[in-house]
Amino acid sequence: MKLLVNNTSIECAEGDLLIEVLLSNGVNVPHFCYHEDLGCDGNCRMCMVEIKGSKRPQIACDTFVKEGMEVSTISDNISEVKRSILELELLNHPVDCAICDQAGECKLQDYYMDYGLYDSKLSTPKTKKGKHIDLGSSVMLDQERCVLCTRCVRFTSDITKTGELGVIGRGDGARIAVAPNRELSNDYAMNVVELCPVGALTSKDFRFKQRVWFLDSTKSICHGCSRGCNIDIDYNQTKYTAEKVHRFRARRNNKINQSFLCDYGRLSYKELNDTFTLEVSNIEDFKKILNDEKKIALVSPSFSCEQLQGVYDFCKDKKISLFSLKYYDDNFGDEWLKTNDMSSNFASIQNLDISTNKEDFLASIADSNIVINFDHKYLKTKYLQDKRVIQFTSSSCEKNYELVYAIANFAHDSGSIINCDGLRQEFYSTKFTDKNPRLLELLEEFR
Amino acid sequence: MSFSFNEENTLKIKTLIQSYPQKRSLILPLLWLAQKQDSYICDDAMQKISEIVEIPYMHIYSVVTFYTMFRLKRPQKRIIEVCRTLSCELNGSEEIKTYLDSNHSDEYEIIEVECMGACSGAPMCTLDGKYMENITKEELAKVLK
Amino acid sequence: MITKIVSKNFDIKDSFKIDVALKNGAYSSLDTLFSKKPQELIDTITQSGLRGKGGGGALAGGKWQLASDHKGIKYLVVNADESEPGTFKDRRILSLDPHLLIEGIIATCYAIASHSSYIYVRGEYEEFSDVLQFAIDEAYDRKYLGVDARYRVDIVVHRGAGAYICGEKSALLESLEGNRGHPRLKPHTPSPEFYFSEPTLVNNVETIASVPFIVKNGAESYREYGTEKSPGTLLFAVSGNVNSPGVYEVPFGTGMLEYIEKLGGGVKNGKKLKAVIPGGASTPILPANLIKDVKLDYENLRDIGSALGTGGMIVLDEDASIVKALKNLLRFYHHESCGQCTPCREGTAWSDKILDKFIAKDASRQDLEVLRSVSNSMNGKTICVFAPAASGVIDGFLKHFESEFLECIK
Repeated sequence: MKLLVNNTSIECAEGDLLIEVLLSNGVNVPHFCYHEDLGCDGNCRMCMVEIKGSKRPQIACDTFVKEGMEVSTISDNISEVKRSILELELLNHPVDCAICDQAGECKLQDYYMDYGLYDSKLSTPKTKKGKHIDLGSSVMLDQERCVLCTRCVRFTSDITKTGELGVIGRGDGARIAVAPNRELSNDYAMNVVELCPVGALTSKDFRFKQRVWFLDSTKSICHGCSRGCNIDIDYNQTKYTAEKVHRFRARRNNKINQSFLCDYGRLSYKELNDTFTLEVSNIEDFKKILNDEKKIALVSPSFSCEQLQGVYDFCKDKKISLFSLKYYDDNFGDEWLKTNDMSSNFASIQNLDISTNKEDFLASIADSNIVINFDHKYLKTKYLQDKRVIQFTSSSCEKNYELVYAIANFAHDSGSIINCDGLRQEFYSTKFTDKNPRLLELLEEFR
Repeated sequence: MSFSFNEENTLKIKTLIQSYPQKRSLILPLLWLAQKQDSYICDDAMQKISEIVEIPYMHIYSVVTFYTMFRLKRPQKRIIEVCRTLSCELNGSEEIKTYLDSNHSDEYEIIEVECMGACSGAPMCTLDGKYMENITKEELAKVLK
Repeated sequence: MITKIVSKNFDIKDSFKIDVALKNGAYSSLDTLFSKKPQELIDTITQSGLRGKGGGGALAGGKWQLASDHKGIKYLVVNADESEPGTFKDRRILSLDPHLLIEGIIATCYAIASHSSYIYVRGEYEEFSDVLQFAIDEAYDRKYLGVDARYRVDIVVHRGAGAYICGEKSALLESLEGNRGHPRLKPHTPSPEFYFSEPTLVNNVETIASVPFIVKNGAESYREYGTEKSPGTLLFAVSGNVNSPGVYEVPFGTGMLEYIEKLGGGVKNGKKLKAVIPGGASTPILPANLIKDVKLDYENLRDIGSALGTGGMIVLDEDASIVKALKNLLRFYHHESCGQCTPCREGTAWSDKILDKFIAKDASRQDLEVLRSVSNSMNGKTICVFAPAASGVIDGFLKHFESEFLECIK
């Protein structure tokens, strides 16, 4: 059916929610409490639109489309309504922008620039509430900045069903809190930081580290387990320092992770900053070793499809027995995003028919002189007596091995991985080149 | 401090569970039973209620903080509530409050409340929850000594 | 002037006891009730023009029909959360004629095919809900209620805990479901209320207490009282600066001044009348010069820019401070806002704080404009009608008594 929005015709279907139709057609409708994955709550009143035939402005998040509906989001009337609601949201808001991590990605700032631009008429004292409250799970709460959209409360009660967050008090004394002596404690807690449209819930891990307008982003996939949640890698490089990955943010994928990440995956960005900084070995030394007969290689099941194909071909070419082992943790998987298989591309190991039998692997090691570890966690810290171990590592590593070569991690070596449901996904590298070579480049040099 | 409902209340709870289609309706009645039994609602009482109705603890706490009649701290004195809304204010509730604050605040906890539905008996207050209407300073002096 | 439909047993000693009540007509409508079909009864209520007596004034018959038509287990919830400042009538029914209420509940439940009723009583009314419970126990005992009754009805008394907003019917149901009393978003099409997703009828105590009379005597006999659009009677009340504050049942259409003078005993201490808030704190204030010909019915009060509300009149005499009165009411709104939606949560607090400046005679011209604009942002933009009521209150005060506010500007 057709709708008329700001005198433009828009196509939509019976039963569609007006706010979704507007947002997906590029009509800017400010909103706090509505969220695609949490539904509507109707408490912020920011998404009000003018509908012909309705006496009062209606909230778009609770309005279903009807044939011939005429909507305005830009009339003088509705602009004044938006301005006045925004004024009330900002009334008791502390002037924290200068020290608030949300600055630059804050809905209040954005909406003020779009619909506000008024002078404050406040002449009475602001309402004071709690500040920098540590909720646990690396989440900081500032009750004064909160607009009580209740996204965080609905997340913990409806999505994780752990119910740690709630609203306490009443009226303008209402504030978000955890119960006394209790903590925010579930495997997905940090999602509330992303859900929060303002700086009320911030990441303790990211606190005061970087201004978001200095960050660049690249689309990537979390490598923490086989779910393959979609992420954005936020990184930058400041003068005189190395490039740094500052955080992962969830990237929407309605087939896999919607707009959520588990905390483990979210914080796994730290591994990307843990690069090899010691001196790498000589290329020629490895070439010499390749002449030996009894060679075995163990490859990480989190390598990309392209890397795995390269290792497979290389090992076939140089007559190296190739194995891989699962990253398996019975206690890690849950009913939502986390899987027991903690590798990101085990499906490709299986596709390439690489042996994963542990007994065979251990027997084969016993029989070999040369052990090549392609970034697999199992051999990253093990000391094998009487074996010559060569490490290809994407992270830091003690130099107690015969030869160590550093390779770029997945932030600098784009490719694709296949998740637990067989979905193949691309991930991309940042705009800076790693000082360590990409694995396939390195393997070329060994030919 | 561990909390458990006494025998009489435990029996009442059994009846209450039969009286509502879902257990969560019991949250307010159970909070009242706990407060009546203990004079306030302690953490363990909320924990116990959370277990009985099978609703997360935070929800119980959140409900308790919404309603003004629930106390989270044990009252140290008997409580006098003075109504401060319009009809009572028009009939001298402010003087009553000042009188009480100056003369009886050592022995009694004096709280201001909103309209108690006793406007024809203005000014009014409650003592231990019981309505006292058409009160005068003299009468209060007699009753509170 | 006084009419005794709902209040007929109020002055009888021990009227809450079932034996006394029975001697005075309690449960006498049940025979007529059970001789009719449920739909007939709904039609009777509709024809009688009975309107909700909790402040809204919506036609009771319409609500009954919606609940009855909707498929599901039906519940009747009686709203005894009476917290509107200036209103103290439902408490009289609970403690002085609870059997009339019980009789009304049985009738209503029969009409909408419900077997379960909850009476939500405000927490502060403990002594009155104890009397109510006593009466309910007696009614069970005598088999008017419970499995052995002619029509099985179970009544549960559910105590609130100090929240005016729980008198709003959707907030009441939230509270009954074990949540914070947050009003619900309103449906887009006519719909009954829901208790745990089952169709529910929510009616005020006095509305239900009016049902036995209508059942026994028919729709037309109710219409003999009141006006065409506001038929019947109401337990009007008067308080504030009057000699005989109290609850006096009169038919709709009674003159307001006549009520205040004859029943309320006139303004105390021989002072002049300054203003009347006609129907509880949520109705716009009326200055004395507008009251002369005002009749106590919904239409008349709406036409002069106010509302009937709960019919609880608050009388202000010539020495009452208008600014203090508005501060008092805004403090009430500030305290009672549930905090769910932005305009109400922030608006009620802001307007209360601005009034402090007027009280301190420290206000500016801009403060007056801000007060007006805050009132505007609270009107028609919220989940429930709490904030619009506050807005109406502010507008009423500023419209009729602007001079007193201007005096506070430094």
